[in-house]
Amino acid sequence: MQTSSPPSHPTTLLRAANPRTLLALSAACAYHTLPAAPPPGQLLSSQCFQCHGTNGQPVSGFEGIGGENANEMHKELLEMSLRKPEGIMDLQIRAYTPAQLRLIANYLSTLPKTGETNDD
Amino acid sequence: MNTNRRDFLTLTGLTSLSLALPRSLRANTTPPHVLVIGGGFGGATVAKYLKLWGGNIDVTLIDRDASHYACILSNLVVTGAIPISRIQLGYGNLKTKRGVNIVQGEALSVDPASKEVTVKIGNDFFAYAFDKLVLSPGIDFINPAGNYNSDLTPHAWKAGPQTLLLKNQLAAMAKKQTFVMTIPKSPYRCPPGPYERACSVADYLKRKKSGAKIIVLDANASIQAEPINFGNAFTKTYKDVLTYIPNAAVSEVDSSTKTIVTSQGTFKGAVLNVIPNQRAGQIVANAGLVNDPTGKWALVNPLNYASTLYPDIHILGDSQGTGQPKSGHMANSQAKVCADAIIRGFSGEAPDPSPVTSSACFSPITSKTASWLTASFQYDPVTKAMKRVEPSFAEAPRPTSDGMEQMFHWADNIFADSFS
Repeated sequence: MQTSSPPSHPTTLLRAANPRTLLALSAACAYHTLPAAPPPGQLLSSQCFQCHGTNGQPVSGFEGIGGENANEMHKELLEMSLRKPEGIMDLQIRAYTPAQLRLIANYLSTLPKTGETNDD
Repeated sequence: MNTNRRDFLTLTGLTSLSLALPRSLRANTTPPHVLVIGGGFGGATVAKYLKLWGGNIDVTLIDRDASHYACILSNLVVTGAIPISRIQLGYGNLKTKRGVNIVQGEALSVDPASKEVTVKIGNDFFAYAFDKLVLSPGIDFINPAGNYNSDLTPHAWKAGPQTLLLKNQLAAMAKKQTFVMTIPKSPYRCPPGPYERACSVADYLKRKKSGAKIIVLDANASIQAEPINFGNAFTKTYKDVLTYIPNAAVSEVDSSTKTIVTSQGTFKGAVLNVIPNQRAGQIVANAGLVNDPTGKWALVNPLNYASTLYPDIHILGDSQGTGQPKSGHMANSQAKVCADAIIRGFSGEAPDPSPVTSSACFSPITSKTASWLTASFQYDPVTKAMKRVEPSFAEAPRPTSDGMEQMFHWADNIFADSFS
């Protein structure tokens, strides 16, 4: 038996043969403790967070994008996607379909406004 | 499971048995366990977002180092413009703020059948069981032939000690000496990165080492990213100090004499910065997951980054072979798609059918200006691949001081979005 202090979490010190027979008893069963479907637009919106901060709350420079009016945000995103590109944002926004921009605007509007709360 | 209970179970020989049980046979209040190997931008982001979005999921992040050094901004460490502490990213916030288990150790092998990873910690070997495994180990190098030694001729293409090695060699150059660097064959980590390094070093030589030169040996036929901005920099801004030689495939390196043999001739420098050709991180190869036609990368389903060989093993970032650019920003982007799909999967749902990924990048061109590059990708259900959205693909019209300012904001935010 090795005696070093093991790291955190489900591990075992390696040892001889693992009994595997119970694997055959596998049955389908969902995880009851997990949340249901992620909200629409959450994944798409998270692609804004590299620059605009997790949940739209930047730590530096760029503007916060959480908690804005969904219709105004949608209008602004559409404008950026249609005008002659002025900067990197006008290019990035062209990645999304109009329907995706709607989902993003709606989801971002559900997030706290910058500075109002943290992202936990 | 707390330590005492695990020790007891190990002593009684029950641990292996209990961990071998499929999740569905364990109490369904026991959260599923996602094991993440590699704590760069991909691994850190997937661990964070699994906790942020997933609620009751156990997430363990394993990296061989105690902290990560970002390649982002690392060329500025080479020139001494910023200290290395600026790019050092710890795992403390992922642990305390997000509840990720952080383990320092080296993953050696993966057993897809028993769903266990063997990890070396200190002198001991441990088996980590997983319900889902995410491999995000970055790149490994295909070392050139000859007497090659990265301690003598640093690549500085994994940031950290290598970055400081190159910085010190550059600082020690005398006037009129030559800095020779290579650009690997595509695909490699960070398409604009080597050209950015050439510019940063050329700028430094102009300012600090009068008469010194830089020779850029590119294994590719042309500039691989931002051809306008880097092309202008090479032919105008740095025309007196920089020589760019395309189609220079490396055949041999002698690190002790700092000599390199290429298809375009033999070169020798006071500093020789060989950036070798690249492949998926070694753990991906050890797991038997390298299966693309080039024999270098792992094929995955871009809806969830699951290996095409094993549905419970995901590969993201530099090691995967979808053809999307290999960069920290892209790894963060893919990690979110992967985290979302894993969470949906635990609830019995299919992945989002229309993911978007993107890559943005700012590159210093001089000590006062930077350019940018951006590309985004949509899932194409016909080819089942990520397809670049052409209207989203562009480089900055020109390098600017505003670009330099935005570069630091971008770095601050992507560092935080990935690591805290």
